[in-house]
Amino acid sequence: MSYKLDWAPIWNNRDLIIEGFVTTVELSALGLVLALAIGVIVGTAGSTNSRILRSGSAAYVELMRNTPLLVHMYIWYVALAFLQLPPFMCAVFGLALYSGAYVAEIVRSGIGAVPQGQRLVALATGLTSAQALLLVVYPQALRMVTPSLASICSQLIKDSSLASVITVAELTYQATAIEGQTFRTFEVYITISLLYLLLVTIVTYGLLLVPGARDDLEQRVSDA
Amino acid sequence: MPEVILKNLPFLLMGLRLTAEIAFVSIIGGTVLGVLVGVVRYFRVPVLAQVADIYIIFVRGTPLLVVLFICYFGFPTLLGYQARAYYAAVLGFILFIAAYLAEDIRAGLRTVRPGLVQAALATGLARAQVIRLVVLPIALRNVIPTFFNQYVRLFKFTSVASVIGVNELTGSAMLVNGREFAPIPIIGFIALTYLVCCFVISMVGRLLYSRLAVRA
Amino acid sequence: MTEEPMIILDKVSKSYGPTVVLRDCTISIKRGEVVVICGPSGSGKSTLIKCINGLEPYQSGSIRVEGVEVGARTTNLPALRTRIGMVFQHFELYPHMSALDNIILAQVHALKRERDEAETRARKLLDRVGLSQRADARPANLSGGQQQRVAIARALALDPKAMLFDEPTSALDPEMISEVLDVMVELAGEGMTMLVVTHEMGFARSVADRIVFMDRGEIVEETPTDQFFSAPKSQRAQEFLSKVLAH
Repeated sequence: MSYKLDWAPIWNNRDLIIEGFVTTVELSALGLVLALAIGVIVGTAGSTNSRILRSGSAAYVELMRNTPLLVHMYIWYVALAFLQLPPFMCAVFGLALYSGAYVAEIVRSGIGAVPQGQRLVALATGLTSAQALLLVVYPQALRMVTPSLASICSQLIKDSSLASVITVAELTYQATAIEGQTFRTFEVYITISLLYLLLVTIVTYGLLLVPGARDDLEQRVSDA
Repeated sequence: MPEVILKNLPFLLMGLRLTAEIAFVSIIGGTVLGVLVGVVRYFRVPVLAQVADIYIIFVRGTPLLVVLFICYFGFPTLLGYQARAYYAAVLGFILFIAAYLAEDIRAGLRTVRPGLVQAALATGLARAQVIRLVVLPIALRNVIPTFFNQYVRLFKFTSVASVIGVNELTGSAMLVNGREFAPIPIIGFIALTYLVCCFVISMVGRLLYSRLAVRA
Repeated sequence: MTEEPMIILDKVSKSYGPTVVLRDCTISIKRGEVVVICGPSGSGKSTLIKCINGLEPYQSGSIRVEGVEVGARTTNLPALRTRIGMVFQHFELYPHMSALDNIILAQVHALKRERDEAETRARKLLDRVGLSQRADARPANLSGGQQQRVAIARALALDPKAMLFDEPTSALDPEMISEVLDVMVELAGEGMTMLVVTHEMGFARSVADRIVFMDRGEIVEETPTDQFFSAPKSQRAQEFLSKVLAH
């Protein structure tokens, strides 16, 4: 093995790494907020009694989920290039529409898991449909789906690395740039791996602060 | 079908074929590795289980793109060999998906009732035989839906191989677009293709599960 | 000539951490005997018989089966278990195999019999428990009583010298209890050595040679059947009997 590990060049370029890290956080945060908004709307639509809304919701979910995220990003960056969106926003929209589909499914099943009676009781005490949804159904659904949401969240953070392909200067992009200059290939990619791992771990455990979410969280934040 | 697609169909189909190849090999390799790792972790085989723990924590916290970069750029530089993009991609996908499947099979192993294991032991089977003949077959059947979710995910992820220069479906499409400048039909076409393929894979999974599932 | 009893338990004790589950249990089972173990829930009955074939470890005392010490580190437990059959409360048939394959599995892999021979024996046993028509059925398609009969056949397939039963009818709907008990009565009639944990006092009365009463991890008394039902030696056994027979 004639390759000697040398971490110094990585440390010397820490500014770039930090910049990339911050951009990743911004990208993920924005993408997540939008994904949650989309997911709640589409997911709630999927749990209503209206056939049209349910089919629309299902169609959105299947279409968005079965299209690779990279293709999503290309759609905004290349196919819709005439919109002249900055690459950052292309990545945000790509992430939001894609992850939004996953959130929608979770919201839909979460709402479905709240016993029917809860909503009926709320209506019976004079609350409107909207109030019943907001004050009674959503909080309970949220409690149940927090582990799955946490897993979508960590998935999104990792998926944000694809933004580097459409020239967004997030963490992976910076890593490639540093590699181009220092040729410390192995060290730089291991470093950002650990940084992603750190970010994902922080966010996952941060979600433990949601009341009632603690049980089973670690077990069920599997997949992402 | 738009003209630009028809004109480039053979090229695009070759890309699709490569996608299918990569996905197929990675699914098989990843499943074998994932089941092995999952079993090792479940039974806490000394030394191997700790190595497996580190592997899983690391890979599950790392984006796929970075895993591919490590396989295509990182390992070759470290170990001094010349990498071919196709093989690096397959290696990356196998390592990536196995980490997720390992966790899934571990959860599946937990669903097998201890009473069943005791009954098998009571008939004079050795522990290893019980795992091989009773526990694993049942666990594997029960995790079919979960596994196929991962397979669909992997199929979509093959698109990322285009970043390291593999001309699978997405890569081929972007190449064609570079020539023809007709992104909307081209990307629309591959989006639809992915949709259909993912649907087919899910259906296969559902069929398999309905045939093989056991109520344990 | 008196031979040594087949199964000998001597001062067997077991704890789960601070909780004592078995306390100084001593008993011997002779070849051909049918012994019923009864007692309130949590008395350690199931744990005791699971110690006999090594499914549960014990901390002190000794269990000898045909002269072999079960707790010894050098004992080949799988081999021992082929000589003692066990039937469980929840049947525990392998759900991914047919009834026939359930019975064949251990014959082929534990006893190393040829598959053809194993299949012939399996069919004979299914016939004996009255289920030859259901050889290819999966457990999910069998009733509880049928599953338990297959489970008995599965245990018998290894030609065991003794059979352990852990509450074999407790998980069955009432109308299926007798079909299982009938098989067990037949087995007893053929001279099989049987140790049965059960609440079925009617069965005990008609087939058992001895009744063992356990309470809170201890063997409180062991008495010949007739005497147990007419005049149990201990207070606790009397209380237990009166409660159980009241229905």
